[in-house]
Amino acid sequence: MKIITLRLALLLLSATLISTSIWAAESSVMHYTQTEIKTIGLSIAKTLRCPMSTNQNLLDSQAPIANELKAEIFLQLEQGRSEAQIIDFMVQRYGEKIRYMPNLAPGTMVLFLFPLFLVALIAAWALWLRRSNTQTQQPPSLDTHHD
Amino acid sequence: MAAEIGLILLIIASVISLLLAITPFIAVRKNSSYLKSYTSLFVHLNTTALLAAIITLGVLFVGNDFSVAYVANNSNTQLATLYKIAAVWGGHEGSMLFWIVAIAIWNSCITLNTRKSDNFHQYLCAILAMLILGFLLFLLFTSNPFARLLPEIPVEGRDLNPILQDIGLILHPPALFIGYVGLSVCFAGAMAALLESRDKIQQHCKQLRPWAIIAWIALTGGNAFGSWWAYNELGWGGWWFWDPVENASFIPWLVATAMVHALILSEKRNAFHASSLFICLLGFALCLLGTFLVRSGVVQSVHAFAADPTRGTSILILLMVFVGCGLALFAYRAPGLISSAKVTLGGKTVALQLGNFLLLATALSILLGTCYPLLYEVLTGATISVGAPYFNSIFIPLLLLIVLLMGAAPLLSWHTSSHKAIKKLAIYALGVLAVAIVTTIGLYQQLDLYLISGVFCIIWLPLCLIKSVTERQKRRAKSAHHDQTRFVGMFIAHMGVALSIFGATTVSYLEQEELLRMGPGQGKTLAGYTFIYEATETVEYPSYSALQAKIAVKDSRDRLITYIYPQRQTFNTNAMEISAAGIHRSLFGDIYISMGTQLSEQEYLVRISDKPMVSWIWIGALLMMFAGLMVLWQRRLVVHSGKYWQPYSFISATGGQP
Repeated sequence: MKIITLRLALLLLSATLISTSIWAAESSVMHYTQTEIKTIGLSIAKTLRCPMSTNQNLLDSQAPIANELKAEIFLQLEQGRSEAQIIDFMVQRYGEKIRYMPNLAPGTMVLFLFPLFLVALIAAWALWLRRSNTQTQQPPSLDTHHD
Repeated sequence: MAAEIGLILLIIASVISLLLAITPFIAVRKNSSYLKSYTSLFVHLNTTALLAAIITLGVLFVGNDFSVAYVANNSNTQLATLYKIAAVWGGHEGSMLFWIVAIAIWNSCITLNTRKSDNFHQYLCAILAMLILGFLLFLLFTSNPFARLLPEIPVEGRDLNPILQDIGLILHPPALFIGYVGLSVCFAGAMAALLESRDKIQQHCKQLRPWAIIAWIALTGGNAFGSWWAYNELGWGGWWFWDPVENASFIPWLVATAMVHALILSEKRNAFHASSLFICLLGFALCLLGTFLVRSGVVQSVHAFAADPTRGTSILILLMVFVGCGLALFAYRAPGLISSAKVTLGGKTVALQLGNFLLLATALSILLGTCYPLLYEVLTGATISVGAPYFNSIFIPLLLLIVLLMGAAPLLSWHTSSHKAIKKLAIYALGVLAVAIVTTIGLYQQLDLYLISGVFCIIWLPLCLIKSVTERQKRRAKSAHHDQTRFVGMFIAHMGVALSIFGATTVSYLEQEELLRMGPGQGKTLAGYTFIYEATETVEYPSYSALQAKIAVKDSRDRLITYIYPQRQTFNTNAMEISAAGIHRSLFGDIYISMGTQLSEQEYLVRISDKPMVSWIWIGALLMMFAGLMVLWQRRLVVHSGKYWQPYSFISATGGQP
């Protein structure tokens, strides 16, 4: 079992290394194929909010500005700009509100820490229970239900 | 005249509720069975008055009485009668009235099936009456459904919001409201249990459980119908967008799920009563908070709901009063509920409770994400958005943990902490994880963590469920026991969850879509189909006219599969324009086409998607509902065949020995 875990850990580690190397390459000008432009473009359009309509992303919104911005995304992809660069461009132009995935900043840290905190609390509860369980071992009650 | 009768009925109901909120407390204190006997009379009178009020509103709608503001704003003479009736709950005032009426009816059902002198029932009626009174005062003072538009009576109504004119309106809001009502009843039940003596706590938890199951079934239906409706109607092909309004119905569902499981523990294992009751209180609090977010208009939503800040304040006051009282009572009584005697908890008990806590953590995290833009703006003055990418990033890992426990719990024992079994399960889980990683790489050529999680859930959950069936059969050989339906119910419901995850994962990753300009004579191939735009047509319907594209779908051998007609509908009454998608459904994938804005004289922006397995999301939800109904039904049968020592009916509040 230990070997399996070790192998998995190695696999995950190598995966992260590969993805970070891709990140490093992204800072320079990229050359996408047409299908890449389509899939990346649509995925960017899904993570940005339409400035005109109420709570719709650029892909779903049919406001004229949304269509313009979609065209802008595809244009910039054809010029070889990366996803991060395009999103930064949009944020500069329309403000933080345009991104549906909030930026990791001191003001938004709570959003990411709160779920982690809750999970940590639950884990702590489980550990505490385990300790108190082992300390007071009692015979199980005589109940025949099994489900 | 009818509107005034309706208003008077609401006022009468308020007075009865006030009486009903006070007398049971006096009756219990004095232990007067004479006073107690009045409770059920008040309950039924109240229900009659409220039922008459909502019927009056229905009559006003059918009779096109536009002097009533609510009717004038939500209906007109052109509207089909079915939608006129559905419009009763189509707007804010009517939906609140629906909520109140449903609480009253539910209370009457409980009262009919119960021993009246039981203290628990007396408290329950009193607390439900307080809720009804609070809502009625809110309705009478800030959003009266019977308010008149005098003296300038409009000749024609403003029409129901066109997006709402759909079969979805008949299914989705009532289901959701019944869920909210169920959580209100569970709140009242938890309060009554806290007021009652703590010796009977296990019995009270048992009484709460069927109500929690009904609430859960209704909320499951409400969410599923809502998402199915949005998928069909909004024209953007999404089935879930983490919009604030969607979250307002999903958060209570998560809490209701935790509630159902927590009550199993309290009923069967006589454990964790305090946390079960707390979850009941929390469920109602989150319903009210969700209602506040949706109705007050403080959050921006794509699902339009008439919003008004003044209402928001009133709902917030109601929330603070009810939840404040609930939590105060809980804080006062709960310490007595937590037993000091330490018993060894079985692995299954711990796994279930961990799952409940994780569900609550998920609900609270989603709540924070929903409210965060608001909080952020108040605190810093700057605006941000918190949307689908964020919610996915927290929901999917939490879901993974929950599913891990969902698979493991049925395989663990109630009695022992079974370290050996847990170790074995951990090895299995690692094996499944390896398979999931390999599948992901094979399918997607990269390590996408969400996809790995999805695949893991899809394999892990059914595998564990099947294993639990075989283990159960092994045990059955040794000892015969009766609780078969419950296990089957669990099996089906959890399979439903697995199927929904399967549908959601597949459609998220294998969907192929194309956004293009199309006009007559143009074609496009996608996902092995050829789409040919044949013509643009105009069609007339009673309440709207539509521009529709006739698009032929052919398979790779050039055989015609079907025609799809996406529409852009323009409503006669208010010239509002919406797009309705054309969908070709099949069990293994939908072809979805929506028609966007006009780009040139002939051409339109068209969005074509191939959505594999999308319908399984809703089939899974239907399975969950079916399983819930089955468990309820079994409880009813158990009562009538008299297997349990308690006289018990699936909706009854009976306490005490026969």
